[in-house]
Amino acid sequence: MNKIKIGIPKALLFYHYGDLWTHFFEELGCDIIISPNTNQEILDYGNKFSVDEACLAMKIYMGHIHYLLDKCDYILVPRIICLKKNEKLCTNFSALYDLVRNTFQKRIIHYNIDVGKKEDEAYAFTTMGLELGFSYRKIIKAYKIAKEKEKIMFERRLSRQKAMIANSKGLKILIASHPYNLYDDFIGKPIIRLLEENHAQIIYSDLYDEKYLEQDVSEISKRNYWTYNKKIMASIHHYQDNVDGIILITAFPCGPDSLSNEMILRKVKIPIINIVVDDSKAEAGLITRIESFIDILEERKGKHYEQENH
Amino acid sequence: MNKKIISFPHLGNYYVPISFLLKKVTSFEVKPSPPITKKTVELGSKHSPDFVCIPFKYNLGNFIETLENGANILIQAGGGCRYGYYSEVQEKILRDLGYEFEFINLIDGDHFTVKELFQTFKKLNPKLSFIKFAYYTLLTLLMIRYMDEIDQYIRNNIGFEEVENSFSELQKQMLDDFSKTRSYFGLTHKFLSYRKKFRKLKINKPKDCLKVGIIGELYTSMEPFSSFFLEKELAKMKIQVRRFTNVSYLLYQKKLHRKKMLKYIPEYCKYTIGADGMDNVYRSKYLAMEGYDGIIHIKPFGCTPEIGAIPIIRKVCEDYHMPVIFFSFDSATSDTGIKTRLEAFYDMLKERKDRL
Amino acid sequence: MKGYMGIDIGSISTKGVIIDSSNQIIAKEYIWTKGNPIEAVKELLKKLKTQVQDQDIEIVGIGTTGSARKLIGAMLNASVIKNEITAHAIGTLSLHPDVRTIFEIGGQDSKIILIEDGIVVDYAMNTLCAAGTGAFLSSQAERLGVSVYDFGNIALTSKNPAKIAARCTVFAESDLVHKLQIGYRKEDIIAGLCKSVVSNYLNNVGKGKKIREPIIFQGGVSKNIGVQKAFEEEAGTSVMVDENGHLMGALGVAVLSKKKPITKQFHFSITDDHFETKGIECHKCPNHCEIICVRKNNQLIDFWGNRCSNGSLSK
Repeated sequence: MNKIKIGIPKALLFYHYGDLWTHFFEELGCDIIISPNTNQEILDYGNKFSVDEACLAMKIYMGHIHYLLDKCDYILVPRIICLKKNEKLCTNFSALYDLVRNTFQKRIIHYNIDVGKKEDEAYAFTTMGLELGFSYRKIIKAYKIAKEKEKIMFERRLSRQKAMIANSKGLKILIASHPYNLYDDFIGKPIIRLLEENHAQIIYSDLYDEKYLEQDVSEISKRNYWTYNKKIMASIHHYQDNVDGIILITAFPCGPDSLSNEMILRKVKIPIINIVVDDSKAEAGLITRIESFIDILEERKGKHYEQENH
Repeated sequence: MNKKIISFPHLGNYYVPISFLLKKVTSFEVKPSPPITKKTVELGSKHSPDFVCIPFKYNLGNFIETLENGANILIQAGGGCRYGYYSEVQEKILRDLGYEFEFINLIDGDHFTVKELFQTFKKLNPKLSFIKFAYYTLLTLLMIRYMDEIDQYIRNNIGFEEVENSFSELQKQMLDDFSKTRSYFGLTHKFLSYRKKFRKLKINKPKDCLKVGIIGELYTSMEPFSSFFLEKELAKMKIQVRRFTNVSYLLYQKKLHRKKMLKYIPEYCKYTIGADGMDNVYRSKYLAMEGYDGIIHIKPFGCTPEIGAIPIIRKVCEDYHMPVIFFSFDSATSDTGIKTRLEAFYDMLKERKDRL
Repeated sequence: MKGYMGIDIGSISTKGVIIDSSNQIIAKEYIWTKGNPIEAVKELLKKLKTQVQDQDIEIVGIGTTGSARKLIGAMLNASVIKNEITAHAIGTLSLHPDVRTIFEIGGQDSKIILIEDGIVVDYAMNTLCAAGTGAFLSSQAERLGVSVYDFGNIALTSKNPAKIAARCTVFAESDLVHKLQIGYRKEDIIAGLCKSVVSNYLNNVGKGKKIREPIIFQGGVSKNIGVQKAFEEEAGTSVMVDENGHLMGALGVAVLSKKKPITKQFHFSITDDHFETKGIECHKCPNHCEIICVRKNNQLIDFWGNRCSNGSLSK
């Protein structure tokens, strides 16, 4: 039997579940193709196949789907509505499966997570595996191993960041956003590159230990119910004493961010800027904003330093 | 101590039942926000986050104006999309502006129970008994149902009224009368007599008039100011209008019909989309099957659930050769732009119909 | 001879035509609106008049379209007041009956109209902002120190068009300045602007529309050959431009007015009358509608904008 080839778009949930997906399908013995980093062509196709008002991250996602169309047997498009009781994801993730299905003619493999209705991740992965024709035992085993590996990978990255915070003396900046914004070549990467060029140490909001999440969030918001936005809020609260400034990145016109960011901007007491990324490649403005922000932070840090040494 | 004045943002004519309920179950003076004007929207936009959806700006404008008007207890609800998170952000913005008030949230996130609602009101009025609360809540719900039913008749016929404004005049009278309700019997009696009166109003309706369905986001569907009085414009063009979204729908029918709706559109939707996204896909197919002439889809700019639904709605309309037009409202939207598009839509539908 | 006049009053320019009963154009004119539609129309009428002076023409139909259609319709007692989408479609079809798709980019708006069997089946207009329209191109031309009329020809000389972000006017401007500063050639930037106007149009207005041949491109921007070529490249097929493309709206309402003659006789001497508009805010109910009143020689001839009967004024 030929191996099944699964296409995985490198956008949106990939940055949450990439490790889990790849290991899971590898354990099952599937071939995997992951679309490349976002490039101009992917973005152009994304624009072509999305509603004008859709958020940039969604448009990019559609571009990645388009890239994979003729390169695999199935494309993985999960549908997630709820990961935790009384919490939710942006409705885009509820629409994703049907949206892709109605936009492209392509076989899609999907799973559905709705914890509120008792459909959790393990259940969802099992259903998906069965649909692909694998045995129950094999699926459970693959899921367990993938889960384990996902955890190890995350903890490795987390401890690296912790070490960096403890040891580095330079200017530290927290960049806070959804992982699919942070690590995308057309959303977060240009900002990260600029910060690196200016020798800032970067702390990533998604590298955050969720143990004290509820407590951390409640310092900023009591009623936020978007799982991913809560994590950003919690991470900001957790790191704000250890960094010099925060850059909040938003993909225009993100629904949850429009409100969640407002709360953050009103509650955070250290310097913070909100950069809204559109699909225009207007770098000039970005450079000015980032550089002047760094200047402000350095000025402040210099002053603190002087005060402490007097 | 100051006198307590309770207030809430506008949603079409629903201020009538909401005021009614608040008057009955609390001991405070009830004052709905001043009617929405351009100034309300300007005020709201000024203090709102940049690209938040327009209902947030309307609500915030309502709150500011009502606070200026003396209110000191504000009520906000919640719902399936961003709406559920309005309240905390609005409260924070208003506090940062320096206002002092109590803020009450009726619905937490997506779920709300009768018990929670009772406890909320109990806090406002410790003397409130459950019996009294249940009596007036049910009475209010009944009032909303009657209003929505009459509304449907109005939408079907107002475009064809023989005496100008006869429908809206009678509706005004009815709402006024409804607000003086005392008992179930009285309310039902009022409803029946007004239904009779409405049916007696003279209309001149051709058999083959244009029929259009309005679908889309709930606030813009129910608050006429936010859709630039779309339904009124359609009435002027002598079009019969079908609109699904009203409070009755959101309260009972939505949940009840979810499975049925998904079953009707398996080729388009396997799951719900959030808010009324899937409902609107269902409605598109339904309107096409029922022989409507066109669909108007309305939403605030950036409304995420609807953005997820639009490509699917487009596909339905393509498959069924159904003319559809999409409106996206923003504080920068212009009146004239909407009218031009509507007129062209009308011309298009008329031409199509005449060809058949 | 009977003549039918159509006037299209846009935000940037005002266009007028007079046709005979077989749709032949006997007079046509194109002037700037300069923010004053009433004066523009007066000037337009004077120019049209000189063109038909030697012929014995009686104007029996008048139609208006464009953003000030209502005002000018009231001023001229027009029998047809039509939105510009329908007007453009009818005008175009009268000259090119087989057209399936109309691209239109004007001063501040752009639209796409799809036609099947001679009727409009779908259309869309730009939403939100004016990025990628004529006004945008003019302001960028000014910034580059180039006449907007030369834009097209300069664009054609570029071998390597720059990528310009034209989704939003503000972004586009800063991007353009940036590209100039890092040393892009002017013609490459101009060609890039033309290309971005097209991709912006297709991604916004043309999104999800089935574009079928033959295609015709109209509106002020259609005079720009650079944009026309960019359209042809994107669509992979030829795109027609009619020399009277900018007059299609006016032509459309003139054609429509043939079916519905005017009731009051029209004289060119109307240009001597004094017209005045005034917006008043009605305070009779909380809607606070803005009511527009049109006065001719100090007499109220029309008003609109009221949402209820409280706001109706006596004529």
